[in-house]
Amino acid sequence: MHPLDLAVIIGYLALITFVGIKLSSKVKNAHDFFLAGRSLAWWVIGLSIIGTNIDTNSYVGASGNAYNVGIAQANFEWIGAIPAMIIASLIFIPLYWRAGVYSIPEYLGLRYNQGVRVVAALIASVFAVFALGVAMWALALTLETYLGWPIWAGILVSGTVVGLYSIAGGLAAVAITDSIQVSIMFLCGIIIVGIGISDAGGFNAFATTLTEDNPTHLQAYLPADDEGFPWPGVILGLGFVLSPAYWIGSQAILQRTLGARTQWDASASMMFAALAKTFIPLLVVFPGILALVMKADIEYPDMALPWVIKNVLPPGISGLMFVAIIAALQSSIDSGVNSTSLMITRDIRHVLMKNHDPLNDLKVGRYLTLLLLLSSMCIAPFIGDLGGIFTFLQTILSLFQGPMLALLLLGAMTQRATPMAGLWTLVSGVLVSAILLIVLEWNLLYVAFVSFCYSMIVLWTVSGFTEQLSDEKLATLTYRPWSRT
Amino acid sequence: MIDLPVAWANYISMGIFIFLGCLVWIVPKKAILADQPETDRWRDLRIWAMVLIGLQLTIYWIFS
Repeated sequence: MHPLDLAVIIGYLALITFVGIKLSSKVKNAHDFFLAGRSLAWWVIGLSIIGTNIDTNSYVGASGNAYNVGIAQANFEWIGAIPAMIIASLIFIPLYWRAGVYSIPEYLGLRYNQGVRVVAALIASVFAVFALGVAMWALALTLETYLGWPIWAGILVSGTVVGLYSIAGGLAAVAITDSIQVSIMFLCGIIIVGIGISDAGGFNAFATTLTEDNPTHLQAYLPADDEGFPWPGVILGLGFVLSPAYWIGSQAILQRTLGARTQWDASASMMFAALAKTFIPLLVVFPGILALVMKADIEYPDMALPWVIKNVLPPGISGLMFVAIIAALQSSIDSGVNSTSLMITRDIRHVLMKNHDPLNDLKVGRYLTLLLLLSSMCIAPFIGDLGGIFTFLQTILSLFQGPMLALLLLGAMTQRATPMAGLWTLVSGVLVSAILLIVLEWNLLYVAFVSFCYSMIVLWTVSGFTEQLSDEKLATLTYRPWSRT
Repeated sequence: MIDLPVAWANYISMGIFIFLGCLVWIVPKKAILADQPETDRWRDLRIWAMVLIGLQLTIYWIFS
């Protein structure tokens, strides 16, 4: 590694740690730790949302997929994100913010019942522990590939850096370091695009070279009979169910919006994130396509991005790009530990331990953040062996997406949905998803869409026969902007 | 499903964004601005949404 690259990496790690620790003096209670004392500005939250959203899979996996399928990979950032983000910004975020909740499970608990709250928090928390392990493993692997560090050293250093600022500074430190990390990612993305297109002889030459051998690589969608991403599945499953379930129901994503200084900042942050999201393909899809245009000599598609960093970028900039990858991983880990710690502290502990003391939330939250980090550091070296379990958990999580979206949509948009109907819909909807996915072996995208439709019908119908919440409670838990004065 | 032309996907995507573009104007301005002064026109998030939708329409038109 060039000394300039090494200097950039060390400088970055020092800056992130310094900023995080400096913010720790502002944390006085659980409200400061989990919601940054409701002090965050829209642009900080917007960048932080993107930092949380981009992970290893986005960088390395998406570049690899783009090498194979071209621009169609970008649907995850466009139709698979933007409509849901606009709806989240205008409808759901103002609702959550006004309800004064700390988390999405807490909202579900108020709108339905505490059973729904605990189930939602439990599923998300168990999944998060393994997801954190995977992210930590990927971070250590990246450090091993580029710096030659042993895996254990990579885990120790990255865990310590993330731990220092996220345990000390809470959500404010996480959000502000995320925004620095995303700025670095965008800077690198713009440089790669500039150098790549310039090396190819301009945009027209770039497009011509690409489509000569790969005529469909500049088409937004793949055919309906494609095994991986059939376009009807992408629009119905990804666009209508998985994407809204993520953007209006993911705690890690939405927690920072609940820490906004005003309701408008909370809404604007998601709209700003959507604007940034539109250009994310420059960071995660373009390198894969560039490797193809430059006829990279690689064994498998996931090597496209490392090849671009090594062969296209000059010293200093390649170090910065390496920093961008570390940043993508760190921002996912810090957001994951903070939001999971919140869900365990409040949504599980507060409900299951009747004699809890809310004044201890800050202490419990900090201990849990440390515990989650240590757990992910311990799991990380064995993640290869646990791959089967992680895939299983990922499948379990996906079974909940359709029913959970139905609960959020009808719960927020209508007064009809009742607590009992919510619980039955969640249980039976997951069962339907499991049958479609495991027994009938449907494509996950179609499973998501059908289980969502089923859940909407059941929730609507059963609610007609069961008892509603009082009007007083529904006033703050449903979206009724026209009746508000 | 198998015989559906790929071009339809782009038309449907553009249709979704146009529909969404109409839908955002149903949300009252007061509900969006909340505690912000009404004179700041740039704070109207419906306009931000229109910019985003315009970008998406352009993208799906170019890559059709």
